[in-house]
Amino acid sequence: MTGRVIVITSGKGGVGKTTTSANIGTALAKNGYKVVLIDTDLGLRNLDLLLGLENRIVYTIVDVIEERCKLKQALVKDKKNPNLSLLAAAQTRDKTAVNAEQLKDICDKLKEKNDFVLVDCPAGIEQGFQNAVAGASEAIVVTTPEMSAIRDADRIIGLLNTKEDINSTKLLLNRVRPNLIKSNEMMSVDDVVGILEIPLLGIIPEDTGIITSTNKGEPIVNDENALAGKAYRNVAQRILGEEVPFLNLDEPKGFMAKLKNAISKLKVKV
Amino acid sequence: MLMEKGLVENGFIIDLSAAQNTTQLVSELNSIIEHPDVRRKNVCLKLGSLDLKQSQLLSIKALIESKDASIAFVDTSSEQTEASAVSLGIVISKVSEQDIQQNLNENVSEETATEGTGEYNNEENRTVEITPEIELPTGTIETAEGIEDIYDEMSTQEISEVIPSETFNSSDFGSFAAQEGLLPTEENSKYILLDTGNVLPEGIEENSSDNAQLPTLYLNQTLRSGQTVNYNGNIFIIGDAHPGSEIIATGDITVWGILGGIAHAGSEGNITSKVRALKLNAIQLRIAGLYARRNDTMNVPYVQKTNEFTPEEAQIEDGKIVIYKKLRRN
Repeated sequence: MTGRVIVITSGKGGVGKTTTSANIGTALAKNGYKVVLIDTDLGLRNLDLLLGLENRIVYTIVDVIEERCKLKQALVKDKKNPNLSLLAAAQTRDKTAVNAEQLKDICDKLKEKNDFVLVDCPAGIEQGFQNAVAGASEAIVVTTPEMSAIRDADRIIGLLNTKEDINSTKLLLNRVRPNLIKSNEMMSVDDVVGILEIPLLGIIPEDTGIITSTNKGEPIVNDENALAGKAYRNVAQRILGEEVPFLNLDEPKGFMAKLKNAISKLKVKV
Repeated sequence: MLMEKGLVENGFIIDLSAAQNTTQLVSELNSIIEHPDVRRKNVCLKLGSLDLKQSQLLSIKALIESKDASIAFVDTSSEQTEASAVSLGIVISKVSEQDIQQNLNENVSEETATEGTGEYNNEENRTVEITPEIELPTGTIETAEGIEDIYDEMSTQEISEVIPSETFNSSDFGSFAAQEGLLPTEENSKYILLDTGNVLPEGIEENSSDNAQLPTLYLNQTLRSGQTVNYNGNIFIIGDAHPGSEIIATGDITVWGILGGIAHAGSEGNITSKVRALKLNAIQLRIAGLYARRNDTMNVPYVQKTNEFTPEEAQIEDGKIVIYKKLRRN
């Protein structure tokens, strides 16, 4: 078996790389695929928190590289889904503890026994980024509809284009707020895609549920009712090659909601 | 393109010939140039037999330049790499074994000694042609000097017939503004000259040589943020130049697409150089020693509609940067 190694990156920090990694990983595992998540943000690890696995970590990626344990020992199984496991970053070391070659080795070993290896990349374009992309053949660039995040994403796409091994770079637009787009206060999805000129993989709406899910250590894809969870499940389906239409975030659902919306529009006119 | 041996200060040899592929090469290079000593140095790259495409070499160059260093020359045994280097105007030369030996003994920092493959050396025996870095003085003063934007929707005249309607003289406007207590603003002009003084590097004079005689770098790719092209000749780009990118040419710059980054034509003082683009949205336009910034009042949409393109051309006239739009025939 040769799995797919996908790096999740953004350039700018705080746009939702780790949240995206946790959710896509969980969604793919729910579909029955074997998934390993690698946290490469050495010294600032978060992915374990989002999955609620912090208390189960014994060995980290640095222990594997420095041969204090076997790779298999360092993989932490998810609480709910045995298909999902995590290779945690070391909290007590920094990015210089690992180099690109070593990370590529780990990715190569992991993809032999898993369908997906998702690499959560640290912010920035330095060593940490170079390490994270070394073993990957696909990339997901996460951005938010803000100029600073988009500028950084553009830089990252430029860097990814120079990597021979990366043969697909796709865009994930996070924290979209349809009502702000409507009132012209936020860049629209078309604007962002128009600027960055790469294929769109998904649109994730801003959802307050993300905050509680992060704090609880429970990825939002497990919440059947959350809109962001649904958007992430759709992203996973698209990664698996299915054609899923993008969520229509503009129109309210249901007859009553539409009616209310129509009435509110009338009121504005009057 | 071999060059004579001589003396260069601030030089380094980086030996990357042990790298098996580009990924290795870049990560190796990355770990070496992270070192603070690399700043403001001329780097001599030993690339071995690895085949590098033009775009790959370009990004390596950008990587080095991002650390405030520049490439003095490359040493390669691959024909493809050599061709790529030539097309990018990078000097090709050989690093002799003696140099390496000598440098190894002289100056190996602790960090690089443990690196193994990457020799990180001080190099002192070479002459290198380096374009001095041009830096914008900080705290530039915005003065309203004459830059005209000639655009007449109704007109069907050819570009050559468009005549600037009214020109501002910096001194006129300055005294006027002082009298009236007004801040100099120019709603209508697209670019405003920056009061940067003489920004041409020392020893370079303004000239008006013929750019048609220069070689042209032909790039079929989109330049993204952080990517730079620096070429001794004309540059022609098929694709957009995104904001954050930089194009520097000693001759003309032509972008078949949207120019959104910084463009510097005639970087060695040729005042006849021009910048052309299907859509001229450059954050800054620089021609020879004149630097101009985009007017803050200019409304640039996030995404340009392709049917709104009117090719534009910037050039120097009477010490000002003037922009011409090619008008559509009705």
